[in-house]
Amino acid sequence: MHEASIAVSLIEVACEVMREHGAARASALTVRVGQWSSVVPEALNAAFEACAEDTPLAGAALSIERVPGIGECPQHGPVELELRRGLRCPLCGAATPTLLQGDELELDSLELA
Amino acid sequence: MTTAPRIVTVRQNILKTNDHTAAGNRQTFRAAGVRAINLASSPGAGKTALLERTLRDLAADIKMAVAVGDLATDNDAARLRQWGAQAEQIVTGTVCHLDAAMVRDVLPRFDLEALDVLFLENVGNLVCPSSYDLGEAARAVLISTTEGEDKPLKYPTMFNTADVVVITKMDLADAVGFDRELCRENIDRARPGVKVVELSSRSGEGLAGWYDFVRGQ
Repeated sequence: MHEASIAVSLIEVACEVMREHGAARASALTVRVGQWSSVVPEALNAAFEACAEDTPLAGAALSIERVPGIGECPQHGPVELELRRGLRCPLCGAATPTLLQGDELELDSLELA
Repeated sequence: MTTAPRIVTVRQNILKTNDHTAAGNRQTFRAAGVRAINLASSPGAGKTALLERTLRDLAADIKMAVAVGDLATDNDAARLRQWGAQAEQIVTGTVCHLDAAMVRDVLPRFDLEALDVLFLENVGNLVCPSSYDLGEAARAVLISTTEGEDKPLKYPTMFNTADVVVITKMDLADAVGFDRELCRENIDRARPGVKVVELSSRSGEGLAGWYDFVRGQ
């Protein structure tokens, strides 16, 4: 359960952006969470709600976009991976050692109120 | 009159502060010529046992120390000090992983210039430590033969960030019906091509491969 730590970092990053834009509050934020990031969206949502109390983000709506894992198959090019199969091309089973996407943990956008 | 809400696109890594601190740690280790090794596993996989054996076997060869993360107790550090190496406890409280700032804050307690290797023994957990770069040169993920073969697929992020995967308690493999091929297949699915070392800290089998990794060979 490190979603609480992630939520605290998220709030720090968001507050920094708000300061840069001279905004006192934010009403909504979107984050991108990769399927290979080991972060559980439901847990992050709950942790955010709790950690945001008494911050300028209190009550802000958090929406989480799940980013699928994409690997590079030597034969088939970029392919969408299935978590339970690991880094293997779903078409031919070849190893796809590099994740082209899917390990994201980022604040995507912020709606300033 | 109300103004329309402004939406700003940010696209920033949520853990950028940790990553920044980790980069600083990495710089500190490089400047002092210390190889920092982050050890992660589930609780009871044998991190401390492997470190005890390593401190004992390599003491004459290389200068080692340990920073060990634990939720509450000092037990692991006390175990490690028996072997004459400096071991400093990082009590993480309710936090289930080490982060770069915790490591940065413990570094002044070590004489880094005098060290060759600093082990960063993470909190026993295969989920949370995976997201936190500590500034290590290499990351070792341990899995014991008694845990079952599917851990790499259950915790893909942790295994996907490993530089070496160590299968521990090989002396118990037969007794618990450990399927070695299946385990290696699952490790390779999580991290294709990763180096795998099979060993037993108790019997001593397979340690040479681990010691090569410790030395950075």
